[in-house]
Amino acid sequence: MYEDLAEYSLAYLQKKRVDYAEARLEEHQSNRLILKNSVLEGVGSDQYQGLGLRFVLNKTLGFLSINDFDKETLKRMIDHSLRVTARAAKIKDPLEFSSEKVVKGKDIVKAKIDPLDYPVEEKIKLLSQINKELLATKLDLPNRYLSLSDNVVNKYFINSEGAKIVSKVPRVVLFYSLTLKENNRFIQRSWEYGAATGYESFNQWNLNKRLVQEMKALSDNVKRGISAPKMADVVVAPEVTGIMVHESAGHPYEADRIFGREAAQAGESFINAKMLGQQIGNPCITVVDDPNMAHGYGYYLYDDEGVKARRKYLIKNGKINEFLHDRETASKMGLPSNGSARANNYDKETMVRMSNTILLPGKYSEEELFESIKLGVYIKNFMEWNIDDKRLNQKYVGNEAYLIKNGRLTDQPVKNPAIEITTPKLWSSADAVANNSEFHAGNCGKGEPMQAIPVWFGGPSFRLRKIRLS
Amino acid sequence: MIEEISNQLKKELLKAGADEVVISTIEQEANQLKFVNNRIAKVGNERLIGSSLFIVKDKKILSTSYQPTDKEDLKKFCQKTMKMVRLLPPNEQYRGLAEGPFKYKKIENLYDSKVEKLGEKGVEIVEEGINTALSKGAKRVAGNFEYCTFRRHLTTSHGIEFSEKGTKWYCSVRALIDSYATGHMTSSGRMLNSLNIKEIAGFAGEIAKMARNPQPGVEGKYDVIFEPMPLANLFNYVAGAASIFDKEAGFSFLNKIDKNYGSSKVTLTDDATIADGFNSTAADSEGVPTQRNVILNKGQFKGYLHNTSTARRYGVKNTANAGLIAPAPWNIWVNPGTYNKEELFREVKRGIYITNIWYTRFQNYITGEFSTIPRDGIFLIENGKITRPIKEIRVKSSLPDFLKNISALGKKQYQIKSWEADIPTFTPAVLVKGMNITKPK
Repeated sequence: MYEDLAEYSLAYLQKKRVDYAEARLEEHQSNRLILKNSVLEGVGSDQYQGLGLRFVLNKTLGFLSINDFDKETLKRMIDHSLRVTARAAKIKDPLEFSSEKVVKGKDIVKAKIDPLDYPVEEKIKLLSQINKELLATKLDLPNRYLSLSDNVVNKYFINSEGAKIVSKVPRVVLFYSLTLKENNRFIQRSWEYGAATGYESFNQWNLNKRLVQEMKALSDNVKRGISAPKMADVVVAPEVTGIMVHESAGHPYEADRIFGREAAQAGESFINAKMLGQQIGNPCITVVDDPNMAHGYGYYLYDDEGVKARRKYLIKNGKINEFLHDRETASKMGLPSNGSARANNYDKETMVRMSNTILLPGKYSEEELFESIKLGVYIKNFMEWNIDDKRLNQKYVGNEAYLIKNGRLTDQPVKNPAIEITTPKLWSSADAVANNSEFHAGNCGKGEPMQAIPVWFGGPSFRLRKIRLS
Repeated sequence: MIEEISNQLKKELLKAGADEVVISTIEQEANQLKFVNNRIAKVGNERLIGSSLFIVKDKKILSTSYQPTDKEDLKKFCQKTMKMVRLLPPNEQYRGLAEGPFKYKKIENLYDSKVEKLGEKGVEIVEEGINTALSKGAKRVAGNFEYCTFRRHLTTSHGIEFSEKGTKWYCSVRALIDSYATGHMTSSGRMLNSLNIKEIAGFAGEIAKMARNPQPGVEGKYDVIFEPMPLANLFNYVAGAASIFDKEAGFSFLNKIDKNYGSSKVTLTDDATIADGFNSTAADSEGVPTQRNVILNKGQFKGYLHNTSTARRYGVKNTANAGLIAPAPWNIWVNPGTYNKEELFREVKRGIYITNIWYTRFQNYITGEFSTIPRDGIFLIENGKITRPIKEIRVKSSLPDFLKNISALGKKQYQIKSWEADIPTFTPAVLVKGMNITKPK
């Protein structure tokens, strides 16, 4: 890595009398494979380094990204960036950062099966085996799209306050999209599994069996599925819990949205600073965002502003408790940052992001959640979902779902039960949380230019009372 | 310099045993001004240089990238890369690259020295955008102005050499009065004089002002007038579904050539040759001269988008849409109609006017079933006139239903590129009959 150039750039910026400067040097090594309808489309493999320089000049934020490590070019680009930033200062939003402890640290995640050493032939076998198991079902699966990616990201972070952080994090992720044809109808299922580990996680996902089960269940759903009752109690399984906490308990608590910094695209939030402490859901609901979860796809120990990361209680016992902050938003609220600044690449600015966002488990087994339900629906997974740009009006459409009757989960499939609900109604309709936590991987989009960043979301099954379904 | 890098990579890879290569090297310098709450919140600059490589040996395919350091590294990189290629299984469906050389037509208005030299003067454009939206009634203005200059050189093992220099700009302005009273418009292009900051910021400001004090919407079927912003989002999914890759992967509702998927009023084309088109280019990613490809002709699906290999596999003509793994559209062109805005509204007895959407998500890509959420100003139309702003609704439809129910198109097109419309789309406003509107219960 070009650490010397990161240091040179930082010193150069300091010489130019900026108020603050940081250098984030990154090296990305990645591989990706696509198996489409039994054909390996090709393999992708990349390795690159780049430097992201962020600085504050006249209380205005400047950011330069560069992967050309010629010193003269670097100087020319820094000078250009300083010039544009100085001009922009005439209509600046005066920037303040929270005061933070200067960190010198290391975060090296050791993969048991290193993605960079694991032979490509073995990776191909993993995909081929899933494909083989799917074909062995004899179901009509005309489209089988499997995409396996891995990467190892090395970072070297320094700032003008003296912080110095070195990190190395591997990640592995599998995305699949399958089409089942049954009774002349098409039904689809897409999802992904990911972790901040090496290939040791892959076997734990048990995808050979899981995908076969999912396809068999969807086949049954097409053959025997009934419409959802118009009003019912609902138990959502961990995958659905995950998307709910991410969309309506994670995003609205991002303080940069609250202060309007993402207003142009990613949107704002129906929550504001005055609402801290307000009851937004049933006391059984506690949602945390925790970057420190080992293996979490959204794992990190230090954020991309050099702040030590910690668990944040976004909703505590149903009350709005804390927002996700970077140094800019923390300063606006007179708080220290809680380490939520992330960038998905050296060429992107940091912004407030989720990491591993989860509903904390309750005391019940999943079966116990069914016991008091006379008529209900269990939603195991979903396809379509969306939420408005204030994070208030949302929809989740079940893919695999079953009827709950007289306190028991039945094997009667329910076709595409759709929940269309507001965020306060969602969390206040909850009345019991199970203890069967699972975590799912996603790539959360935010910012402009768009930054998709790896996150985990999940938790246990939980129960919602009197939900209108369509 | 970039020509030297491309040619050196080609030479070393062929020497190390590659059968076929495509090398594309790009050098780009970009600027970004992000504004928030009427103020510039971030100044971004970027310099990027690098090559993307497509390498084939005995039908074994590797896509990779190279970051120039020095020549010795390049040699080692090529040898190491070829070792990796040899480990792969062959893709028996692969049918090779296009044979060059080709002559390329000049596409007008793809480079503007005014964009290249804009530098810090971009701040004045942002200032003008903010002030315009404020003058229309906005309290807060947020957005983004990006502009860049790039050079690309492409060379292949099959006699193709192509070079281009271009400029691009993208501008987004969102005007806000409160959390519901908002308006948004984007614009993009290659020449600075096609940026009309007053028009887009003015539109955003006016929509925000009209959207004050909305009432919750009511579920039901409505005729909907969509502005170009939401249409770009939906037409991106329509054109994307024409990629043969998407069809094979199960991401397409376009299942049969010559079948009618839309109303006879809809003609939609993929076109990389549009003057001032954000993604216009004379050569695709394997160096084949680009062309105009009709996707829907009067509602009828005319064919998939291909690269050389997929076209040979299907025995059809290459449409120059490489993507060497996945063919993709360049720019989307929706033929305009004859209606001006007032005439479109006059067609509506009871309807909804939607100025923006986001979060379009599919239950099923093959049937095209989706829902999407209107954002920014949403308005009820009664007897041809906007009567009041509404809020908290969702559009539930399918792409075939959406296309079939298009009953009138405006005559003025806008080039829209946005967060969820990555493929630049030239479209007018459109009237769609009988769309399902739902809301949270």
